[in-house]
Amino acid sequence: MELQDTYYNKLEYVETASGNKVSRQTVLCGSQNIVLHGKVIVQSDAIIRGDLANVKTGRFCIISKGSVIRPPFKKFSKGVAFFPLQMGDHVFVGENTVVNAAVVGSYVYIGKNVVIGRRCVLKDCCMIEDNSVLPAETVVPSFARYSGNPARLITTLPEAMPDLMTEFTKSYYQHFLPTTVN
Amino acid sequence: MAYLTQPDYVKYVCSCGQLKPITNLYFCRHCLKIRCGFCICHEVDSHYCANCLENMPSSEARLKKNRCSSCFDCPSCFHTLSTRATFAQPRQDPAAGDAKVENKQAKKMYYLSCFNCRWTSRDVGIPDQPVASGGWPERTNPYTARINQLLDYYKAIAQQEKQEKLDRERKKFAIRGKYITLTDKTGLTGAMARNIAGLPSSESSSSAIANFVPSVASAEVEELPEDYHLREVNLKQGDTLPPINTNGKCLSYHVPEVKIISHESVKAGQVADLLLKVTNPTAHEMTLRILRPADSAEEVPAPPEDQEPRSIEKSLEKSLNLEKDTSWSKVIERKPEMPTVSQICVPEVTLTLAQRDDAAEYDDDPQHETSDIILWRKSNKLALRLKVTTDPTAEVGKPAQVAFRLQYSYRNTVPPSAQSVQHRDHTLNTTVILDLGSVCE
Repeated sequence: MELQDTYYNKLEYVETASGNKVSRQTVLCGSQNIVLHGKVIVQSDAIIRGDLANVKTGRFCIISKGSVIRPPFKKFSKGVAFFPLQMGDHVFVGENTVVNAAVVGSYVYIGKNVVIGRRCVLKDCCMIEDNSVLPAETVVPSFARYSGNPARLITTLPEAMPDLMTEFTKSYYQHFLPTTVN
Repeated sequence: MAYLTQPDYVKYVCSCGQLKPITNLYFCRHCLKIRCGFCICHEVDSHYCANCLENMPSSEARLKKNRCSSCFDCPSCFHTLSTRATFAQPRQDPAAGDAKVENKQAKKMYYLSCFNCRWTSRDVGIPDQPVASGGWPERTNPYTARINQLLDYYKAIAQQEKQEKLDRERKKFAIRGKYITLTDKTGLTGAMARNIAGLPSSESSSSAIANFVPSVASAEVEELPEDYHLREVNLKQGDTLPPINTNGKCLSYHVPEVKIISHESVKAGQVADLLLKVTNPTAHEMTLRILRPADSAEEVPAPPEDQEPRSIEKSLEKSLNLEKDTSWSKVIERKPEMPTVSQICVPEVTLTLAQRDDAAEYDDDPQHETSDIILWRKSNKLALRLKVTTDPTAEVGKPAQVAFRLQYSYRNTVPPSAQSVQHRDHTLNTTVILDLGSVCE
């Protein structure tokens, strides 16, 4: 079935020239370090911690309600250091999900209530199912579907995953509409 | 999986009779048939480690029993272990004697730790390593000697049998030459003499066989459950890891993709509206017709078996060294049961779909048409309005499925063989089954 239209309050969201739709109810720390590459939706109560390190997302990313995007840190013998967080194109991050990954590839689907531990690497075209916990420093290879706590490979994904994710994120963006003001 | 987060509402019929979503099907450009994972030949292209993503030659992978040499699993939670470094004073070895004076400063030592359950290699007494990767002590299998003995034994048996077979054949087709040989004079060869005496034919293999001690069961094993041999085997569950095939022969690039936009709930004896979206994935214009599903194999015109695909097939066979044996494929071709409760009112029109154009994304809004059937058109997409009639006697709560046959034109872009310059347009058929929920009151 086609995705249903989701309506948002036009006053709540800011739409940039490149098509990003960012809710005013979000916490964007260090906004000068956050780059959204266009047609990205950041929904209400999402937190992006640009104050820790740079956060970059590609095009057509969806960051759902209550999710946290937070650059990872690594402990060294002399204190900690934060690493930038990179996200590819057509990435979906579900509701109430915490992403501490170092790299999230393109065409990645992350379900809701997921915890992605620090310095994880999510390669292109992978999927993390709802309610999974990915321990720190996990590498998720391409076309893998991970689930559980700790998340493990349960099956592989079809070869058409890039097309599926492109279709999904594009239609999500198209169906994310402002409510008409009477 | 065609919907990512939703169940598979639209399923295609594979040429083997399986119903699969379009993402799990392949299209053979040589025989122009739809194939699923069960009716194609799988081949491992390369082995890689899922953690370090390091490529490994298949011979090495076999040797190492498909394990990466540098990545380890946690023994308690199976998560991949990480290497951690500590600055530790090296333990003073009583045997080293006075050499300890040189090693006074702290040395970097490494141990393995699981970030999920906090297991460390120190927990089980594995000593820390001075290098970050590799060098971890490997435990030897206590049964290695026995396994090697068994392997030797079986190899010896195989060799013996091979030798016996050879001997027998040699005896059968012994070519008599013009000249009398030494063996003819005596009438015996060494092997024959051993054979007559009832001795094993070869000396080397006999030692492995003679020294072999058969295994003796040391414990009572629980009997298999009663229904073990009677239970129906689900062959679909056999394969745990479908391979990844990224050479772009995916069905979704060759066969028009059908998606349900929405539909009215299906009620017994009533007509429901059904909105479908059809996409042309190819780089050529496509004509489409929606037809009634064929009940038997005879009704479906088989794909045109003209010279071109066949010659390609031949050349492919030759290059791949395949022996063609199509007898098996005929046997497994089954027809799935077609749903009969609901039926689509087949429109008497031929639809034309434009070719795929990646720039069309930036086009304007879809063009709305006045036609009864076509709702809108947008580049290579088409929305259709169809009617579904349901049998008045349909039971409430039964699954409402509807099937139709899609006839489409397909242009084969595989370069034809040098001699034939024939048209490469084909008319192909595929059967699609839509899931419209269940019959409502």
